[in-house]
Amino acid sequence: MTDVTLALVLPLLGAFLLPLLAHGVLRRLAVLFGPGLLALSALLLFGAWSTYESPYAIALGGFAPPLGITFYIDRLALLFALAVPLVTLLLWPGGSDEASVRRQSLTLLLAASLTGLAMSGDLFNLYVFYELAAVASYGLAAGSGSGAAFVAAFRYLLLSALGSVIALFGIALIYFKTGTLNLAQLATLSEQLANPQGLAAFAMLVIGFGVKAELFPVNGWVPEVYGAASRRVAALLAGLASKLVVLAIVRILLLVFPGEEARQLLLVLGILGVVSGELAAWQARDIARMLAWSSIGQLGVVFVAFSLPGTIGLVAGVTVALHHLVVKSALFLIAERWGGAIDGLRGAAASSWLGAALFVLFALSLLGLPPLPGFWSKFLVLSGLAEGGTTLQLLALAAILIGTVIEGAYLLRVITRLYAAPDSQAPPPPQRRSSLLASGLLASVLIGAALFINPLWLGLKDLAASGVDTSGYVETVLGSAGGQR
Amino acid sequence: MSASIGLVFFVGAIGLSLIGIAGMLLSNHLFRMVLALAIAEAGANLLLILAGYRWDAVAPILVDGQPAQAMVDPVPQAMVLTAIVIGVGVQALALSLVIRVRQRYGTLDMRVARQCMQDELDEAAGVTPGRSQERPAGGRPLPTPIAEAGGRHD
Repeated sequence: MTDVTLALVLPLLGAFLLPLLAHGVLRRLAVLFGPGLLALSALLLFGAWSTYESPYAIALGGFAPPLGITFYIDRLALLFALAVPLVTLLLWPGGSDEASVRRQSLTLLLAASLTGLAMSGDLFNLYVFYELAAVASYGLAAGSGSGAAFVAAFRYLLLSALGSVIALFGIALIYFKTGTLNLAQLATLSEQLANPQGLAAFAMLVIGFGVKAELFPVNGWVPEVYGAASRRVAALLAGLASKLVVLAIVRILLLVFPGEEARQLLLVLGILGVVSGELAAWQARDIARMLAWSSIGQLGVVFVAFSLPGTIGLVAGVTVALHHLVVKSALFLIAERWGGAIDGLRGAAASSWLGAALFVLFALSLLGLPPLPGFWSKFLVLSGLAEGGTTLQLLALAAILIGTVIEGAYLLRVITRLYAAPDSQAPPPPQRRSSLLASGLLASVLIGAALFINPLWLGLKDLAASGVDTSGYVETVLGSAGGQR
Repeated sequence: MSASIGLVFFVGAIGLSLIGIAGMLLSNHLFRMVLALAIAEAGANLLLILAGYRWDAVAPILVDGQPAQAMVDPVPQAMVLTAIVIGVGVQALALSLVIRVRQRYGTLDMRVARQCMQDELDEAAGVTPGRSQERPAGGRPLPTPIAEAGGRHD
């Protein structure tokens, strides 16, 4: 059962070994090192997924909880953890020169820490993995080496470090009130946090961790970093990293803050994210920053979805999050060589029909055109909001619908440019073959999901039912983890 | 007695953080922003230490042959140790980025650096700068970049 922790340890070890290995003769072999490790950890996680029966906890180092750190493994954690190596493989920055090796090492570090975020059952351990992921993404953001990338990475670092300080305050506040940071033990003590101090602690954690999840007030770094960094890094941060941080926030919400106010806080921040993100994306005139702002809007929808109570909220949230993971990674990949203004994209379809067709497919799914999965994810959120029916939820419903209209406006603007006749300017170059292959794979995932929507829905409902089972979590961690190694 | 000392420490922890956060938000000097970050982190760490501190207790070290007595909670101390290490690493990274920014743009002023970044991004994106609400005609009243010898290395 400790196999699962290896999925985290291997990339972490690899991140530090890779720069040492990649010298001289070994340099050519080192190209395969990172992908090999990621494939191995994906295999391990897939094995754990296929032999999975019920949730279990792993006491790291044999120290029993609540003092020791636990990893909690259920379908939800496995699903997101499995997404990490798979998506990282698709977005792998190849190459064997020194800069590429450094980038690969940071990518491995990011993958390891994101896997940790999916599994960890300890608040401070979550903080450590969050910081690790943040440091790796500063490096990736600055990696393109232009002056703009350095300024963007520095501003990102400052905001994220400020968020960490605020999150640390929240952690200290929780420790004051309860004397523990183990999520399972906190779940048994959640009444002690059902007061203004507890809510303040939750708000601090959400704002602190929300920096990487592109949450509304702390997302100023997003367009700068995604504009300056390479598109693959942007895809990794927008598609993958933000989702794993959202998962960590959702775990904290479900276990420690079951109260209504905490959900309302997420709902309000989500609405503001949808409105501000979509409006800014509509105004953007180059494709990188348009996609960046649009991902802020989409993550607003994710937060709105997770603010819905009970199983339906978790199903809706997981669906929206996974859909956005696939679609936004693919859109950034397709746009990898489409530098420049949206107006400069004229005739892109003529130079690469496949790239343009894939872009249209993903854009339509993002909009929510049935029968693509994007429709079902938005449908789940909207029906959940309509069922809840409070004023705020109806406001969120309206915001998401209006956001979809704006989304339609700017995505169709890009699509019409793609298929327009090329003017005097040269059309953008066709996509790299590896990008086309990766986004084609993501497209087949999308179409597969559309074809098998019913079994998928049943599986997700199962997954969410075990995900919201707080007492099961507590029993698993505190009851049995001491015996399992 | 100990209660009032505790209060001083609490006020100190929150005050340090507020000073740091205010410094990060109000300052425009890249290096001062990193310093402000260090101060804010010190405040947060002090608060975390206070979360497990007891004034009537001894250090949490078990010594053979001595009876166990009330001890300070060691868990927050271990966590603060981790937080300090993370903080130092992040500050070092921040300083290295400051050096890079200084090399590329020859400035340590956040407003100038940000403007340079926006211009570079707009140029790379092929978007003509000057959405009117962001860039009023006549330019912004920005301080001129520090023009020292050796400022630019590129």
